[in-house]
Amino acid sequence: MITFEAVSFAYPTASGAESGSAVLRDVEVEVPAGEFLLVAGASGSGKSTLLRAVNGLVPHATGGRFSGTVTTFGRTTRDHPPRSLADVVGFVHQDPEAQFVVDHVEGDLAFVLENLGHGRDAMRRRVEEVLDALDIAHLRHRSPATLSGGERQRCAIAGALAAAPSALVLDEPTSQLDPQGAEDVLGAIARLNADLGTTIVLAEHRLDRAAPPADRAIRIVEGRIVDSGHAGHVLATYDGAPAVTRLGRLLGWMPPPLTVKEARRHAASQVDPPSATMLTAARASAPGDPLVTARGLRVELDARPVLHDVDVDVRAGEVVALLGRNGAGKTTLLRSLAGLQRADRGSITVAGRAAYVPQDPNSLLFAPTVRREIEHTLRLLGRSDPPAVDAWLTALHLEAVADRHPRSLSGGERQRVAIAAVAVGGAEVLLLDEPTRGMDAPSRTALQHAVERHAANGGAVVLATHDIELAARCATRAVVLGDGDVVAEGEARHVLTGSLFAPQVLRVLPPFLTVEEVAAALDRSRR
Amino acid sequence: MRPTSTATLTAPTATGDRARARTATPALVWLSWALAAAAAVQLATNPLYVTLVVAIAALVVQSHANRGPLGSAFPVLIVAGIAFAGIRLVLTAATTHGTGDVLFTAPEATLPRILGGFTVGGTVEAPVVARAAAEGWAIVGIIAAFAAFNAVVSHHELVQAAPRAFYELGLAVTVALAFVPSTIAAIAAVREADRARTGGHVVRRGRLMRQVVPVLESGMERAVSLAESMDSRGFGRRSTAGEAASGWLGLGALLLLGGCFVALVARARSTALVMALVGGAALVAAVVVSSRASTRTRYRPRRLSAREWVLAAVPWITPTMLAVIGGAAADTLRWPGDVLAVPAVALSPVIALAALAVTPLTARSA
Repeated sequence: MITFEAVSFAYPTASGAESGSAVLRDVEVEVPAGEFLLVAGASGSGKSTLLRAVNGLVPHATGGRFSGTVTTFGRTTRDHPPRSLADVVGFVHQDPEAQFVVDHVEGDLAFVLENLGHGRDAMRRRVEEVLDALDIAHLRHRSPATLSGGERQRCAIAGALAAAPSALVLDEPTSQLDPQGAEDVLGAIARLNADLGTTIVLAEHRLDRAAPPADRAIRIVEGRIVDSGHAGHVLATYDGAPAVTRLGRLLGWMPPPLTVKEARRHAASQVDPPSATMLTAARASAPGDPLVTARGLRVELDARPVLHDVDVDVRAGEVVALLGRNGAGKTTLLRSLAGLQRADRGSITVAGRAAYVPQDPNSLLFAPTVRREIEHTLRLLGRSDPPAVDAWLTALHLEAVADRHPRSLSGGERQRVAIAAVAVGGAEVLLLDEPTRGMDAPSRTALQHAVERHAANGGAVVLATHDIELAARCATRAVVLGDGDVVAEGEARHVLTGSLFAPQVLRVLPPFLTVEEVAAALDRSRR
Repeated sequence: MRPTSTATLTAPTATGDRARARTATPALVWLSWALAAAAAVQLATNPLYVTLVVAIAALVVQSHANRGPLGSAFPVLIVAGIAFAGIRLVLTAATTHGTGDVLFTAPEATLPRILGGFTVGGTVEAPVVARAAAEGWAIVGIIAAFAAFNAVVSHHELVQAAPRAFYELGLAVTVALAFVPSTIAAIAAVREADRARTGGHVVRRGRLMRQVVPVLESGMERAVSLAESMDSRGFGRRSTAGEAASGWLGLGALLLLGGCFVALVARARSTALVMALVGGAALVAAVVVSSRASTRTRYRPRRLSAREWVLAAVPWITPTMLAVIGGAAADTLRWPGDVLAVPAVALSPVIALAALAVTPLTARSA
């Protein structure tokens, strides 16, 4: 059992003794043994801090002003630093790469057991069991650096689980993963909870898969717990809820569904479903002039063909969603269009400029403030354009953090800063690689609006993404890549309909793609 | 922090990845091989024999290298060694003068007294160049032995095999090595992001700053989360007084042995001997104290099988034989380099060197 009694916490500020504003305020939570608790909340709401307090990383590793009591399985974190709680709490970080101590999967699993001084035979048995529990026995002799994101995160969970802790605390374990990796990881977590009775405390932004197995959810806003209870009820009023949950709230379904299956059941008994005839006309107005034309594009990396004879057109006013599994060639295509990857064959014509925003915003950020970061791109181009800087700060909802250090921001905020820093250069075509990775709901909405605005102003955007909901919300056209070929291409609604990867709403109430479309249709039929 | 773009695309795929199985040859066997090979180069500096050792090192890499950047660093280290030898050659040719055919005459200058007062430049003689080249090649031979060792060994296993007193030190080294691949990936990603930012327009001014800061900051963030991960997994728990004592003893031993080396260079033999004895005693004490005090246990410690003992012993046939051959009068182990001619080769040293190839040819591959 984990209990928080009147816990408040403030991080130390850079200036020294004075602590900053409180990140946790009077938090009271009780997690009974064996529960699966979901912690929901926007970036910067205090989720991570709450999770870190469970095993004493807050305040032992961070410093700052801590009050109240956290008791984890009978031990207070005041008296026990994280290393003394290693046998009862396992902690998993969002970045799967940064948690391996030993460059060898099996050796890394044994790390905690060696530290706790387990006997040789006990150690052998535990490692074998954990390898099976997370289904990673085939990876035991590999180096974590050579694994895929999902495999790596499962190995990191195994490393936290090796000492058979009573609780596992996971801070956004799937935010850096593609959908397949996320599914594997969440499946493994749900199994641990169900089969071994491990208490799970999980914070996550993308709740489509994380919400259904949770017994209970709590919601944090500015360091306070504002809601607690059944995940459907707690999430119904939350922006970041799965699309079906928001649909359920719109149509008054009780309890709000968490899965497509539950939502379908409600939809089948819906007396008066929103009519398809009320669907707004296609988003795309007549496409404008071609901005990017690629013909017969062929790219090989390490003598392995990554793109075969790909033809792509991007016209002014379009938002093109580039879909496909990992390794299908999405990033290579974007890099080729941006001129960063030389094509082995074929031609690319770009009218104006095409600018690329890499997947990892950290590789771009170096300035001391967000505003200076964005201004710097213009300085590199030999221009100065304060209105453009302000326009992008506003478009991506970054005004509030304009004077903060980019590195002090959340993942989603950093991603937006990177997009603003590239877009401010005035390129007609923006190529965004996996822009919603690690983003919370408000960040995604801000991104969506900025993308739509750029397209409406005569630009074009290509989004390489796994985020089907984002594609459903703003794409006018979709291109699906498979093993280096274009396997489907056309109007977004057309491509997404009938696909196995259709957005949730489409699977519940076809032909609607998003909750917003259903809301608009309801609105119109009422008039 | 994550490798992106190029890094992701060129990262080894799961299917092509060769597992580092436990059946692979133990790190200690390779350590023994590398030491024997380095000793062989010291004993037989004849360029042709050195070439043979370099070839055997390449064979080791070819047949046993691990995957990943450390496994593929062999050619890089060899090139670095050759570059080093080249610089040494130029410096030697410019400052050393002997007799023999003059290749050419360079402009000369005499340095002021304060810088040593010797003459740089002037005549460059063929034997001097040849001898410097041969010595440089011997250095490359020693680098090749350790570069091959680095490519085939499991660094983690090496740390595990180290005495308890050096566990923390060894762990720091493995953690640092684990940062190498991610840093290489981060550098590639940052360079690309810098180009992408301006849509391909290259701006040189301030580029170093733009590229170095993100790499360092990402590294810092990673280090912080790694520290949290280690803390959460019980690292440093229950450190006893004995462990602290062994740490100090270990440090003292390293300092004393270092001092002994300095004393040897300064030709203070008796001081060096005392330092070596005290340092050695401190080292033994550190190992004993720490293994008594530690509450840490070791996962799957590796014991050498009889076959592996043999594999570790066989390479030492080479230096032993070479030492015997070197004792005989007319040996070919060293090349005088006075006359520009192909160095002489005899059969017996070649047979001795062939013993170095036994371990790589018969050891189990990963």
